[in-house]
Amino acid sequence: MKYSSQKVAYWFFATCMLLFGLQIIYGFIMGFAHMGMDGLHPIIPFNVARAVHTNLLVMWLLAGFMGAAYFIVPDECEREIIWPKLAYVQLISFVTVGVVAIVGYHFFWWEGRKFLEIPRPLDYLVVVNVLLFVANIGLTIWKSKRHTTTSLVLFFGLLTAALLYLPGMISTDNQTMDSYWRWWVVHLWVEGVWELIMGAILSFLLIKLTGVDREVIEKWLYIIVGFTFLSGILGTGHHYYYIGTPRYWLIIGGLFSALEPLAFLGMAIYAIAMAKKGGRSHPNQTALSWTIGCSVMSFVGAGFLGFAHTLPQVNMYTHGTLVTAMHGHMAFWGAYAMLILAIITYAMPLLTGRNLFTRQSATFAFWTSNIGMTAMTVAFGIAGVAQVYLERRMGLDFLQVQKEIEVHFLGLVLAAVLFTAGIVAFIYNFIGYGFPSNESLKKYSGDVS
Amino acid sequence: MLTKSSARRFFLLGTMACSAAFVLLTLDTIKQVPKRTHEENLTPEVIRGKNLWDTSNCMGCHTIMGEGAYYAPELTKVFERRGETFIKSILRDPEAMYPGQRKMVNYHFSQQEIDDITAFLKWIGEVDLNGFPAKPDLGNVATAIHSTGSSPEGAVLPPVTFSQVCVACHAVGGAGGKVGPALDDIGLRKDAAYLSRWLTDPQAIKADSQMPKLPLSEKDIKDIVDYLMTLKNEVKK
Ligand code: HEC
Ligand code: HEC
Ligand code: HEM
Ligand code: HEM
Ligand SMILES: [Fe+2]
Repeated sequence: MKYSSQKVAYWFFATCMLLFGLQIIYGFIMGFAHMGMDGLHPIIPFNVARAVHTNLLVMWLLAGFMGAAYFIVPDECEREIIWPKLAYVQLISFVTVGVVAIVGYHFFWWEGRKFLEIPRPLDYLVVVNVLLFVANIGLTIWKSKRHTTTSLVLFFGLLTAALLYLPGMISTDNQTMDSYWRWWVVHLWVEGVWELIMGAILSFLLIKLTGVDREVIEKWLYIIVGFTFLSGILGTGHHYYYIGTPRYWLIIGGLFSALEPLAFLGMAIYAIAMAKKGGRSHPNQTALSWTIGCSVMSFVGAGFLGFAHTLPQVNMYTHGTLVTAMHGHMAFWGAYAMLILAIITYAMPLLTGRNLFTRQSATFAFWTSNIGMTAMTVAFGIAGVAQVYLERRMGLDFLQVQKEIEVHFLGLVLAAVLFTAGIVAFIYNFIGYGFPSNESLKKYSGDVS
Repeated sequence: MLTKSSARRFFLLGTMACSAAFVLLTLDTIKQVPKRTHEENLTPEVIRGKNLWDTSNCMGCHTIMGEGAYYAPELTKVFERRGETFIKSILRDPEAMYPGQRKMVNYHFSQQEIDDITAFLKWIGEVDLNGFPAKPDLGNVATAIHSTGSSPEGAVLPPVTFSQVCVACHAVGGAGGKVGPALDDIGLRKDAAYLSRWLTDPQAIKADSQMPKLPLSEKDIKDIVDYLMTLKNEVKK
């Protein structure tokens, strides 16, 4: 750590760990409900568990992005954050809004639109909060003498993510338009501007961990995010096939979204190539594993499994089945969860001045969570494909099909136990690092020495 | 070799061109959606229904237009599939319609609210979804009894209410729910007078019966009983 205001990142990361842990608990509730063990239904019906599970996910990823930005931007800009106190205020208000939303869901206070369940009054608070954050980061960059591509791409990603939250608040009585705007948030986030944030964080990590020349890394960053937008913006059309929007979206959405995996493929090749190219080795090899792992698993989850159901002919049958859940898990895990875990693994020794990354449990966390998530994806996948065949192609009744595929949810829960073991190890290590301290200032620079 | 500044130009130009195209397509979509979704049918009732749909977070268990959760049936075509009687019954008391099955929340809706949600589900069923959901193209087990014309033994076609409501719990010819007994041989086991009393009020005959008392009209009952009396296939045990 070079600047003492970077310490705030630790508290964002700690929030991530807490919310991530809670998210997994609600995942189990749903896994069991799918197996027919729905004893919690009177207190936490499925729709509550689901809203909590997915909102906690989004919340901890956002907290992770913010933490990453507070860590990366001072380093890139070579100066302290402009308003360090505001960063703490902003964290506390972010957590407060989150907690109110999560508790509110248990009392059915929500909007009932998938992923955007947060009720309207809280939406405004989210917007204010995120604007404070963007201002804090933006002004820090503005005031510095050093404007790196990495920090600019990161800032642009964060700013547009904040702006794209707004279309989700357009109110309409027409379910079709409601869904149309909902995708401006959901799709343009994960397959658009969040990829910018991902590209920037990856490029920061690669510069630090491999020692490859910044010019080379940042040039490829532009090419990759260029591909992201070239395919991803019009690729939104893959959600407009069957919701009452015009037929031309079948062609436009099919064509452009089929190109989206290229951006993820590019990201994977880029990370692997830079790691090979960097001759000198950084001591924190676990962080490098998470970095490379992120680029590879995002290609598998988003690129490969996304492509598997993105063509309109296939999507006609898989739309709104467990096939989507399979893709959703691996894509979020590979692209965004692993990204945050990578930056945390990189930042923790620098924030706290301790070195735990050579511990066996750090390696265990990496492999166990990835093997567990792969197995979960397989379980969702088999259940999903069976559902598509039995329900959509053979016309069996929904509930009858659910009975048939119950056993795969046993598989899911077992795989989830493995995954959870990995995450528990990760959190255990996180706690082991202790709190950030000023002693670690300038102790480690974090660069390849 | 490509330089960093040409890489940046590629990024900026590509992004601007695609964003512009996306905005133009959005404008056209906004223009076409009212017709494709029959906005003229968005009555105050339907709009209240949509609000109830949202504030109840039905999407947290169900999908609609293929969006939502994967825990409960897709509802876009539920009006056509189950009909008004069934939908209103399940909204009044979910437990009664699927006893012992996966659970739905009981919202204790008022009659007005039930009518509103039903109107919303009727409206959404009429939106032009470019052919979604596709008709099952393999086997066609469940649609066999709905289809017109030539069933192999020249069996009588079931009345619509039967295909919508009763098959949710009873199977005929192997297709349908398993909550109640299969009805293939009901015409051998029971007579018409008994069946119409049963359909009028199952609990009057068997107090602890799990079959709900359904709001069927006289005509519905007569048509269904006529149909049931034709079901005389010996079931292999
Ligand atoms: C906790 C999950 C859950 C919630 C929330 C929920 N449902 Fe359901 N619903 C189910 C399940 C599960 C079924 C399948 C039948 C059963 O087992 O009850 C069902 C069945 C139905 C059916 C009959 C579908 C068919 O094909 O037979 C309708 C209609 C329906 N729900 C409407 C709604 C509406 C409207 C709402 C919101 C006001 C809603 N549901 C909220 C779980 C839920
Ligand atoms: C919510 C589920 C459900 C629905 C809907 C339903 N039933 Fe039933 N039905 C049952 C159950 C459960 C039984 C077994 C009742 C018992 O013995 O307690 C039953 C029993 C019967 C029986 C007597 C069967 C026998 O072997 O004695 C007949 C006849 C029947 N139902 C006809 C119908 C018809 C016709 C409809 C449509 C109007 C219908 N049911 C709708 C659940 C349902
Ligand atoms: C990191 C990137 C990605 C993430 C996090 C992600 C996540 C998700 C999630 C959560 C859903 C369900 C959304 C909902 O129903 O509200 C979804 C749907 C979908 N995704 Fe992705 N995705 C990513 C990338 C991709 C890519 C690159 C493609 C295509 C090549 C793709 C294709 C699809 C399709 C076609 C659907 C709709 C499924 C349906 O019809 O039910 N995704 N994605
Ligand atoms: C470890 C235990 C986990 C279990 C048992 C679990 C289980 C589930 C279940 C059962 C659903 C609901 C599917 C439905 O609607 O029927 C779901 C939804 C979802 N979960 Fe998880 N989950 C777990 C962890 C995770 C993790 C780590 C992530 C992200 C990285 C994640 C992301 C999601 C997403 C994005 C959805 C919505 C999917 C969609 O709508 O298509 N889950 N999960
Ligand atoms: Fe998408």
